[in-house]
Amino acid sequence: MALQLNLLHEEFTEERQRKRDPLKLGIMGMIGIGAIFFLYYGWNAYQTIQIKSRLSAAEAEWQRVEPNVTAAQKRAAELRQIIDSTEVLDTAIEARFYWAPFLATVSHCVAPNIQVTSLDGSLVEVDHSISVALEGLAAAREPRGAAEEFRQLLSEQLEKSYTEVKVSFKNLEDLDTLVNLSGVPTASARFVLEVTLNPTPAAPAPKPATRSQKPEPVKEAPTTK
Amino acid sequence: MKLQKLSKDQIQKIILSVLGFIGLIYCYFTFFLGPLNRSRATMIQTIADVQAKNASSKTELRKTASLELQAKEATGRYEALKKTTQEGAPIAWFPPKMRTFFADHGIDKVSARLESSANFKQPELADWIKDNWAVELPESDYVALGKAIADLENSEPLLALQRVTIHAVTGEPQYQQVTLLAQTTLFKK
Repeated sequence: MALQLNLLHEEFTEERQRKRDPLKLGIMGMIGIGAIFFLYYGWNAYQTIQIKSRLSAAEAEWQRVEPNVTAAQKRAAELRQIIDSTEVLDTAIEARFYWAPFLATVSHCVAPNIQVTSLDGSLVEVDHSISVALEGLAAAREPRGAAEEFRQLLSEQLEKSYTEVKVSFKNLEDLDTLVNLSGVPTASARFVLEVTLNPTPAAPAPKPATRSQKPEPVKEAPTTK
Repeated sequence: MKLQKLSKDQIQKIILSVLGFIGLIYCYFTFFLGPLNRSRATMIQTIADVQAKNASSKTELRKTASLELQAKEATGRYEALKKTTQEGAPIAWFPPKMRTFFADHGIDKVSARLESSANFKQPELADWIKDNWAVELPESDYVALGKAIADLENSEPLLALQRVTIHAVTGEPQYQQVTLLAQTTLFKK
């Protein structure tokens, strides 16, 4: 085996050490990583730019739509207010008490021997019922009976149209003076009637069965003894 | 594997390289990628918000259009009710209106005075005002009065009679003295 002498040993070692310089290797590594980071940053920046353009488009769309939406919201609020107001007004209109039919009923109950001298009716705020005070004169051989007939008739007639009707005498007194009724001096009585009623219409009476409707079969014939 | 012994100079350079690397990572994430990602996240959130607003705006527009159709009848009725209130102060036009109305029904010498005026408690009627009037009919025939009241109640939907007082006039049995307390709902102008 031939003997070889490396006369450049020191130079080779120096060259190897130079190549393995940690600072140089570190700088090269950092440059490599930095390049990768730069590329990654670039990719992210590109995506961000795309997102920004999407944002701009969305904002432009919103800018275009916003005035319409604001106007629509305002209009919707206005419409809701109108609907609610109309509903409340309609309820109030429908809840009114109509005095004309009541006055007509009273006038139909007044017989020739009855004279109503005063009528004072009002709507009770608390329960929305109607309270009426009727004052008048009744003339007959039995004036109290005539007043009672008027009371009963009024009660019957009012019950046809209203509920919770109550007609009662607040005062009923015979008068000493005779009144002229169809040329005949007649005894009279002064009465004060108090009428209370609920304006809710009375339920209509059940309709009689029409011919087209089949009558229900009678299960058991009534028997009289 | 045989590890070569590092010289002091090499160790210093390695430490320097490691420090440089840490600095690079810190700067990259703190000053570059971090703000970029934050900005991107903010933009994504903003896009989501704007898109949600756009979507809801379309729903809102559809709803308003639908509401407009539904409210057509109510709007017409509301306008009609508003028109029952004449221009000007009610005290200026309501008494003459009553006078004319009852005169048309053969009842003269009618006077009306404002008793009270108040706002409604209901928030829906914030644009409306409640006026209470006393209408005096010193000479009225009962039948004519009944017809007039019926006509009044039918033609004036926003007028409600709260009280009716009828007294026979002494010496004139064909006439009654009547006081009506009427409540009107009027649009604030």
